[in-house]
Amino acid sequence: MQRSIEIDSPLPVSPGNPARPTLAAKVAGYPAVLSGLVTLRSFAVFIAIWWAAAAWTHSPLQLPTPLSVLTALKSLAIDGEMLDNALTSFTRLAISMGIAVVVAVPLGFLMGLSERANAYIDPMVEVLRPISGIAWIPLALFIFGVGDVLPVFIMTYVACFPLLLNTIAGVRGTDRRLLAAARTMGVPQSRIVRHVVMPGALPTIMVGLRLAFAGAWSAIIAAELIGSPSGLGFAIEWYRQLLMSPKVFAYIIAIGAVGYSCDVALQALQRTLTPWARGTELA
Amino acid sequence: MSATLALSSAGRRTPDMLRAIALPITLLVAWQLWAMTLPDDTRAPSPASVVAAFVRLCASGNLPISLAQSFGRVLVGFAIGLVLGVSLGTLMGASRAVRRNIEPIIESFRPIAPMAVLPIAILWFGTGTPAGLSIVGYAAFFPMLLSTAQGVSRTDRNLVQAARTMGVSRFRILAKVIVPAALPSILLGARLGMGVAWTAIIAAELAVGAKSGGGSSGGIGQMMFIFYSYSIDMNGIVVCMIVVGVVALFIDRLFRIAERHLIPWRQ
Repeated sequence: MQRSIEIDSPLPVSPGNPARPTLAAKVAGYPAVLSGLVTLRSFAVFIAIWWAAAAWTHSPLQLPTPLSVLTALKSLAIDGEMLDNALTSFTRLAISMGIAVVVAVPLGFLMGLSERANAYIDPMVEVLRPISGIAWIPLALFIFGVGDVLPVFIMTYVACFPLLLNTIAGVRGTDRRLLAAARTMGVPQSRIVRHVVMPGALPTIMVGLRLAFAGAWSAIIAAELIGSPSGLGFAIEWYRQLLMSPKVFAYIIAIGAVGYSCDVALQALQRTLTPWARGTELA
Repeated sequence: MSATLALSSAGRRTPDMLRAIALPITLLVAWQLWAMTLPDDTRAPSPASVVAAFVRLCASGNLPISLAQSFGRVLVGFAIGLVLGVSLGTLMGASRAVRRNIEPIIESFRPIAPMAVLPIAILWFGTGTPAGLSIVGYAAFFPMLLSTAQGVSRTDRNLVQAARTMGVSRFRILAKVIVPAALPSILLGARLGMGVAWTAIIAAELAVGAKSGGGSSGGIGQMMFIFYSYSIDMNGIVVCMIVVGVVALFIDRLFRIAERHLIPWRQ
């Protein structure tokens, strides 16, 4: 089933991401403090290189110094503009993830449980899946115009596929013995779905959710950059046209920060909802 | 994996093929019928006019040229991402010290979508091919790097130690032990990376077209943008979308076939 899951994800939060640094540090017997210091040193070196490059090229338009980016970041944060744009993008993201979950998860259960539904619907999914969300932007611009609906549509489209495919995989991967046991004990079908299939599929669905988020987050930038008058993606392009490079860089940092914190939040959700699947969720 | 719960009685009355095409065909027919109810001068696309647009675009040579442009950019950009990703990934996978030092930087760049760096690419390289290449390279770099690092770090230690005991040189260990062991991961990364790269080039061309008033970038993405903003040709846009999908499918299948041939021991 792996094949279906990976294709469109720009950040493969996939079957075995390399171990997190903290984990690697633990394995190596390194105390967390030391690993934190190493991280700090890496960033220091990175910023030093950036600074040196900026000083060397001496072209603040193309490569502003870290200090000017920090100043821009501060002023954007203080006057609330960055927060506004981040909230706009985040709201769109949340709405589309909500729609995608409501559409894709039940459909995934249907397709995973019923061979016949799968035979009818799966070909349609396979026809649509290779068409990336980005490719829908021009057509969606015609249909929805420039505004809020376009990014939400694009993100929902992008998020649906990993969710759907992971739900199907999760439902099908339910332990056969558990099913047989429940059936032997005369548990009705609806309760089997509720109490056996659902918990069994949840870890895979959660992975699908993270993949869906990764895809959607990458698509929202494109959608906002091209067809929206607000949001983080719009802001970076806006400041590029004004040739205010430090603000462009500041917004790029903001995009990374929001994306990163959402993924951390999803991981936390994953741990809370499926504590039993820790570490084995992708085995 | 193919086991299903078979809640519904498995009806085998309808042949598989017919079931597979039932929904797509129904939707196509519904779309065509809907389009026929519209006035004649409508700009709304219909299956028949999409086919006509496809023939027209192929005959004029616009579509093949744009496709070649986009695909060429993907290949070059992907090659850049591949070389950087595989070399750095091998270092990261082989040495824990390198990994510990580089990983924080990599992890902080990873949530920055390729499209977000497009404005910088335009500032640095203008609106031409180099900007597209850098976006594609950036997009393909991360899956390549992560898969390679993972594959290399999961190499069987016993094999490496055995080779070392027998006095095999470091370079030969890399070429004969580590690379073959990591190959499945590297190929998986390449497939993912190529898929992302193809999406990224369309996005980049589209955005360059949209943000530089047409520009001179060329490619499928820009073609879509021109259909959107100048010629208002929705049929052309749908043709481009289908082409984008078919190419993505083609790339995916190609890599799967390559995987089957290059790593026959991993079926």
